[in-house]
Amino acid sequence: MSASKPLYALHERIWHWLQAAAMIMLILSGFAIHYPDRFGILGSMAHAVSWHSWIGFALILNAFLGLFYHLTADKYHHFLPKMDDFTGGAVRQARFYLYGIFKGEPHPYETDPRHKLNPLQKVTYLALLNILLPYQIITGVLMWGANRWPATFERVGGLRVLGPAHTLGAYLFLAFLIGHIYLATTGTTPWSLLRAMITGYEAGRGEGHEPAQAARP
Amino acid sequence: MIRDARSRLHGRRDGRIRVSPAFLVLAAVLGIATMAGQDPGMKQAGDQPAPPKLLHPALVLKDAAGKNVLDTGNPISTRQTCGGDCHDYDFITNSFHFQQGKNEMDPALLKAHGIAPFNSSPGMFGKFSIIPNRQLTHAGITEAADADMSQPEWLTKCGVCHTGGGISEYDLYGRKFLSPDAKAKGPMDPSYTIRDRESGKVVPWDWEKSGTAEGDCFLCHVPKASRGARREEMSAGNFRWANNATLSQTGIVTKDAKGAFLYDRAAFNADGTVKQDVLNLSDPTLENCAKCHGFTARDATTIQPIQHADIMRGTEKAGWIYNGAKISDTVSPHIVGKDKMNFPWDVHAAKGLICIDCHFSPNNPGRKIQEDSQKYLKYKPVSEDIAIYLKRPDHNFARGNIPPETVNMTRHNTMRGCADCHDAERTHAFLPYKSLHFKALACQTCHIPAIHFWAYRSDEWGFLMDTGTSRITFRGIDGDIVDPDSKVTGFQPAYVPTPAKDGHLEIRPTNLITGVYWFDKAKGRPVFTWQIQKAFFESWDKSNGWTYRPEIVKEFGDKDGIIDRAQALYTTPEKIALVKGLLQKYAGISEPELRIEIVPWAMSHSIVGKEQATKDCTACHAKNSILHRPLDLDDALPKDVPVIYGGKPINVVNYEGKNPTFNNRPLLSSFYIIGNSRATWIEWLGWLSVVGALLFALIHGAIRLFGGRS
Repeated sequence: MSASKPLYALHERIWHWLQAAAMIMLILSGFAIHYPDRFGILGSMAHAVSWHSWIGFALILNAFLGLFYHLTADKYHHFLPKMDDFTGGAVRQARFYLYGIFKGEPHPYETDPRHKLNPLQKVTYLALLNILLPYQIITGVLMWGANRWPATFERVGGLRVLGPAHTLGAYLFLAFLIGHIYLATTGTTPWSLLRAMITGYEAGRGEGHEPAQAARP
Repeated sequence: MIRDARSRLHGRRDGRIRVSPAFLVLAAVLGIATMAGQDPGMKQAGDQPAPPKLLHPALVLKDAAGKNVLDTGNPISTRQTCGGDCHDYDFITNSFHFQQGKNEMDPALLKAHGIAPFNSSPGMFGKFSIIPNRQLTHAGITEAADADMSQPEWLTKCGVCHTGGGISEYDLYGRKFLSPDAKAKGPMDPSYTIRDRESGKVVPWDWEKSGTAEGDCFLCHVPKASRGARREEMSAGNFRWANNATLSQTGIVTKDAKGAFLYDRAAFNADGTVKQDVLNLSDPTLENCAKCHGFTARDATTIQPIQHADIMRGTEKAGWIYNGAKISDTVSPHIVGKDKMNFPWDVHAAKGLICIDCHFSPNNPGRKIQEDSQKYLKYKPVSEDIAIYLKRPDHNFARGNIPPETVNMTRHNTMRGCADCHDAERTHAFLPYKSLHFKALACQTCHIPAIHFWAYRSDEWGFLMDTGTSRITFRGIDGDIVDPDSKVTGFQPAYVPTPAKDGHLEIRPTNLITGVYWFDKAKGRPVFTWQIQKAFFESWDKSNGWTYRPEIVKEFGDKDGIIDRAQALYTTPEKIALVKGLLQKYAGISEPELRIEIVPWAMSHSIVGKEQATKDCTACHAKNSILHRPLDLDDALPKDVPVIYGGKPINVVNYEGKNPTFNNRPLLSSFYIIGNSRATWIEWLGWLSVVGALLFALIHGAIRLFGGRS
């Protein structure tokens, strides 16, 4: 078994967990708003709306801090897929999840501090961070701003458009979260990736788990 | 100031306004008094009613010739008494209270307002309503089959409240009755005929005998006005004396054994004027307005909104009670659960506001809303002259917008709205997204959470009871409405989208009145009541009343041969087909069609304060939202017949369950109510993605687990 190696810096881990907490709380408070009579975990609906708004802005702030960090610290390349990642790389990773993992095949891509994401993750995060997250932020902020910018709010269709649109985004985030948490158990051991995101270190893979090739930037 | 006003008045081009110096002195006195007495805050709940203001000078009651009625014994002419040198009678009576659509009989106007062309006006005088199922007969008809309610009959039925003036002085062509040129245009002219009840034939109306009813100023401006006595004269076709009858309780007039009105000299001063404290001419009191509009009182503990066989319309249609007393103090009728209702029937009434505080004359200088189109003035120092106001007080009173009433629509929303008095932004700290809520909801939506009285539920002229009239049901009461022992359970309104002042839709509390009636498709109008009577009954006479046709009794009744209210329903296609056939056979209706119409009556009174108002978000923002409350419409309704809501073909009837209920979804389709509204495909797609992710994790994890691979 190879020695443990540093993978996530402290600020990256804090950022990740803050985002995770914000996302979970947004989903919960969102459910309290969407199903106020059946999911009243935050007391009144007005409380749920208030919490949802505050947490939403916390998530936006954290997202911008993350963006700032990744741009200024030259870390953004982790999230930039190459052309092959969209095709061959993603297919290789998907094949591993759907077939290879059951056969005990090694992970097709090794992670290290310079290659933290496999091709499928890169493609997923590209869509998540550049499409779904901005989409959810824009629809959410527009709804939050219904009082402040009523003309803009009405111009985009008001609640009739924004309500269902934001709801769809929330469902997709929840689906992502489920998949993300589950796939976090597909490391060397079921807890190795989770431990890495807590301690910063991921346990090295043992025999039979040697990577076929390194995860590429 | 007086000279200036005078010169302005005399300077008018039409030269119609001529003001005497004495009038201007009166104007100044009245003006000061009016403005001094207009602060609603001065009126305290529970105060005794203020004594009538005796500001109006003593006046001579004149007859049509302008002579003192004490000398002539003739009927009072308000045109001469109130008009003449003082008030502009024609200007005043050209308002909707007097005209009720008569001055709006324009097909283009009807079309513009979306009113069906079989109506002849947008007001009560000319517009079909499911409640009386009567129509004013159109001018120019030539056949008796096209005659329903003529102008004289309208006055006998509706003239008690619709107080003379235009409707009862001028024919449909604008000619003054009893003037030399006022003659019938043919034997069917609806201004000069009436359908005789016994023979069923259209016969001439004798205007010489009935006389005309001039605008009844007394009904609104004399605190002791008698609506009941007025009703008797109008119903009897004795229009000429109707205004005298209104004064029956003042002591000015009495009726002798032969039914003639006599003047009591004790009520008059030596100079022939009426004693001021006898007539008490004043601003309309709550009681004056209540005579027609609905139960209104400052602090009444007995609520009886029925007078002289008439139900006050406002209470009847929407169940509102404008009363400052606490509901818990009610002695009669029996209000169920009143012990917990330690709050007034209407919070504005409890604060001492009277009708004219909000529904004021628009050109009253003390109340006038001065629109500043540029929106740069907070206060506009120029106002109408009090003398002009007293000469020509605009009787198109400031009003809101109560669907489905369409009379004088161009003057809707002229009163101050809630936000003109209340700073809602400051008093709704608990409410998120205030502007969004204030736009989507009328204030009444949260401030009329329930009606603690009864109101109409249905009025069905599609089936006639053995009285020859409709099947009527009420909601909010267990028992008969005239029985003081009946339990008044109240009801919760339907909350339906309604056009607001600027035209956008806002959700507003509403009572829904269901009508089931027959429509004559060939003629493009509802079937007249007398035609339905022909289909249902084989005879009528004074002693026995109406006798059903045997086919009706066989199909609808049981062995006792009596059709009670529970049986008077179209529960099967066969029953509909039977009456359709009878209408064709006996009434000559070639294409009768049974229709359902749901009429929304928006609510504006019975307002509660903040303690009782709806504040729970989940009242609306939940699956079981009050917006989708299944308000029951009737005991049963015919199926597979056209349903009309708000004048448009929209099916809002849900037939599932014991009773047919109101389905608000088609109306709320333009609203997205968080927590309640669901975009179906979004929910499907969303949950599919979530469940898909879960299934993937579970199946994938299980295979890994049971396959021995991590």
